Amino acid sequence: MFLTLRNISKRFGAVPALNDVTLAIGEGEFVCFLGPSGCGKTTLLRVIAGLESPDAGEVLQSGASLLGVPARLRNFGIVFQSYSLFPNMSVARNIGYGLECRKWPKEAIAPRIDEVLALVHLRDQAAKYPHQLSGGQQQRVALARALAPKPTVLLLDEPLSALDAKVRDELRAEIKDLQTALRVTTVMVTHDQHEAMEMADRIVVMNAGVIEQVGDAIDLYDRPVSRFVAEFIGRMNLVRQSVARIPPAERQADADPYVGIRPEHIELIDANGAQSDALLGRIEKCVFLGSFTRITLKVDDRKLMLELRGRRTDLVVGATLAVRIPAAAIHRLQDATR
Amino acid sequence: MTDHAAAAPARAASLDSDRIAVVGLAIAVMLPLVVFVVAPLFEILKMSFVTPEGIGLGNYIRYVNSPKFSRVVGNSLAVAATTTTITVLLAYAFAYAMRRTAMPFKSALGSIALMPLFAPSLVQALGIVFLFGRNGLINRTFGLSIDIYGFWGIVIADVFYSLPHAYLILSAALAVADARLYESAQVLGATSARIFRDITLPSTKYGILSATFVVFTIVITDFGNPMVIGGDYNVLATEIYNQVSGQGNFQMGAVIGVMLLVPAALAVVAEKWIMRRHHATISERSQPLLIVRQRWRDRIGLTFALAICAMIAAIVLVVVVASFVTLWPYNMHVSLRHYRFEVQNGLQPLWTSIAVSLMAAAIGVVVTIAGACVTRRLRNAAGQALYFLSILPAAVPGMVLGLGYILVFNNPANPLEFLYGTLLILALCNVYHYHAQGFLIATTSVNQISRVFDEASTSLGAGFLRTLWSVVLPIIAPSIVSVGVFYFVRSMVTLSAVIFLVTPATQVAAVSVLLLDDAGNVNQAAAFSVCIMLVVALALLLFRVVLRASGRRHVSLMR
Repeated sequence: MFLTLRNISKRFGAVPALNDVTLAIGEGEFVCFLGPSGCGKTTLLRVIAGLESPDAGEVLQSGASLLGVPARLRNFGIVFQSYSLFPNMSVARNIGYGLECRKWPKEAIAPRIDEVLALVHLRDQAAKYPHQLSGGQQQRVALARALAPKPTVLLLDEPLSALDAKVRDELRAEIKDLQTALRVTTVMVTHDQHEAMEMADRIVVMNAGVIEQVGDAIDLYDRPVSRFVAEFIGRMNLVRQSVARIPPAERQADADPYVGIRPEHIELIDANGAQSDALLGRIEKCVFLGSFTRITLKVDDRKLMLELRGRRTDLVVGATLAVRIPAAAIHRLQDATR
Repeated sequence: MTDHAAAAPARAASLDSDRIAVVGLAIAVMLPLVVFVVAPLFEILKMSFVTPEGIGLGNYIRYVNSPKFSRVVGNSLAVAATTTTITVLLAYAFAYAMRRTAMPFKSALGSIALMPLFAPSLVQALGIVFLFGRNGLINRTFGLSIDIYGFWGIVIADVFYSLPHAYLILSAALAVADARLYESAQVLGATSARIFRDITLPSTKYGILSATFVVFTIVITDFGNPMVIGGDYNVLATEIYNQVSGQGNFQMGAVIGVMLLVPAALAVVAEKWIMRRHHATISERSQPLLIVRQRWRDRIGLTFALAICAMIAAIVLVVVVASFVTLWPYNMHVSLRHYRFEVQNGLQPLWTSIAVSLMAAAIGVVVTIAGACVTRRLRNAAGQALYFLSILPAAVPGMVLGLGYILVFNNPANPLEFLYGTLLILALCNVYHYHAQGFLIATTSVNQISRVFDEASTSLGAGFLRTLWSVVLPIIAPSIVSVGVFYFVRSMVTLSAVIFLVTPATQVAAVSVLLLDDAGNVNQAAAFSVCIMLVVALALLLFRVVLRASGRRHVSLMR
């Protein structure tokens, strides 16, 4: 593999940040580290960058260990969450800085600055200073600065989270297009599942310093291995397998574990049909959310969440509803005890 | 993008070039701190144990048993305690008027309150002597015989001398307030007295404690004012001078130096300890307190502030006036004869002072900025040691440091002995005497730079020195200038540390003022003081103009 993380552990004082993390990243791949704050995703990115040294384990690039190679010699480009442009330098000088540090020949620097500025559509802003630019423009310049020295790996540390929603969406697409065009190996840290699903070739879901699951968006949504992944990406009902009306023959041996069902997979049925697998409940809440309607249904003493397409004016709070859970919709999850 | 991939895993040897730069700079900063701070302190301690009978506590026992001991220590503590109480009360009230009332003329009043910072320390005493002394304006005009020399003279002079320091700290403490607390209290029906007691006072208690310890340190180590106005009333700082300069008794000077070091060091340690416990009470969500007009409160505040500023200005003004009259207060005809400086080396000490101050500013800027940058980078025990050494001079009284310099550098066995008697040693003495303050200005501004800049620079391939040169230094440029101005001003007005180090050839202006006053040439002493203040004022003006021209404002000079 192009970039390999092997058994990486890191603690800050008594707090473990990463616990024996192993991962392989292919050349040209776009990988997202996704997880809640404090899950270790940023620490892992910083270990790759060389800004943190792991307590155990190592990072390998094309099979060679990067142990002891300081950040400035790795030639990895980084874009930080907060604006990291040097305030005392113009846009052009910011971008040229890495080229000067990496001893590019003088005559090659100016054309390269122009080239990367064109990539981020900011050729007309070269002489401006960071404080004269909008937040989105500043992050574009930061991206151009990171790309200018032709890095072997591009590292993005929540690059969009400080921006307004609209700018964020624009830049999200732009970064993805740029990455696809340049084929530069990219690792991005985010806590936003939609960002990860839209941009990444592969998503690495992290929790409490370990990798929960690795896969593309469809894998993670359709086949979550753990309750954490199931609940972090999309929504998931958790019910006992007996409640889910799983035939006894197919049930798992141990007592009565929980299984997961996506809200949109629960089917409405005719209450009078008297099907054997029908669940009867009372509508407790009914929320219209544009393209779908979310219903909270009380079945015995448990709550089930349903998502139905379109507007459902026929369903009112207090009414009784019959639903069924198709067998194909059932997810068996690790750690699903409640 | 793949063409560079093969070359990426680089050699560990290159890592060392960066580490060498950091370690090299750390050593370059640490070594002079050891030579110019630690060694003098060590020599003082050593000297205090040297007796004719060998090493021992003999000096201390002899000194403690002398009746003089308890009197001088008692005097010092009495002056320091009294002055501290009065100063902190006045400074709090003044800062309150500045920050929490809507009185007019705030910026002018604030500037006047800071005037004593920019005058030699004995100017307060000189002014008070001109007003209330034996031959002062009041006694002569009204035929009174007020005796100002002694305890109260020192207290009054030191109150005005230390007031700006306390004011700066308390003003900063009172400047921040969360309006939500005040509004909640009002809605709950609290009276203004109650709000003051329950909200304002508790939220400024750290400032009050900090100001208390800072003022105590300044007063107990002050030398100039007790020299001029103390009369027979001896304090520790003047006693060191008498022992060393008068009687050549270095052992006894060292013993008293240690006696002075202990309370000063304790006060500084207490202040640092308190400030470390002081967590920010203001969060991002705090609403700034808006000061609305309140007729009576504003009037009382203005009256009080005007009174304080009038006294501060009067003391300086009377010195200025006295320098321009034939013979204060007998012959009040305007005359420039005191500006002919027909004594000693003429005006030479002023040029010497300017030269020393420029050197101190240049050296001070380099060592404190380098120190701040290295401690920022070294996040380990070495960094902490460097930080400790850098702020250690705050606990060392000038008299003690100066005496230590004699012991270290007036010694033929020391390879640096050639420094003794030069302007350079005066400059170095000032650099390390005020190292803590200069270092803290530098550290504060360096730490305001987000670490993201370092990391961005590193990831782009820059080493430690390049990041320093291209990113850190340009961003903190205004603070670099303000450290330089701080050193220039302090070196122009300081007396205590350099008094032991000047020679007839290297006499500085502040020492001239003291010697002229001592010789009874009070009008010439006043004229010399005016020259010093003029140079300082010009330097500050130049600083303002430069900052304004470069589009920066609000750069603080102190702390």
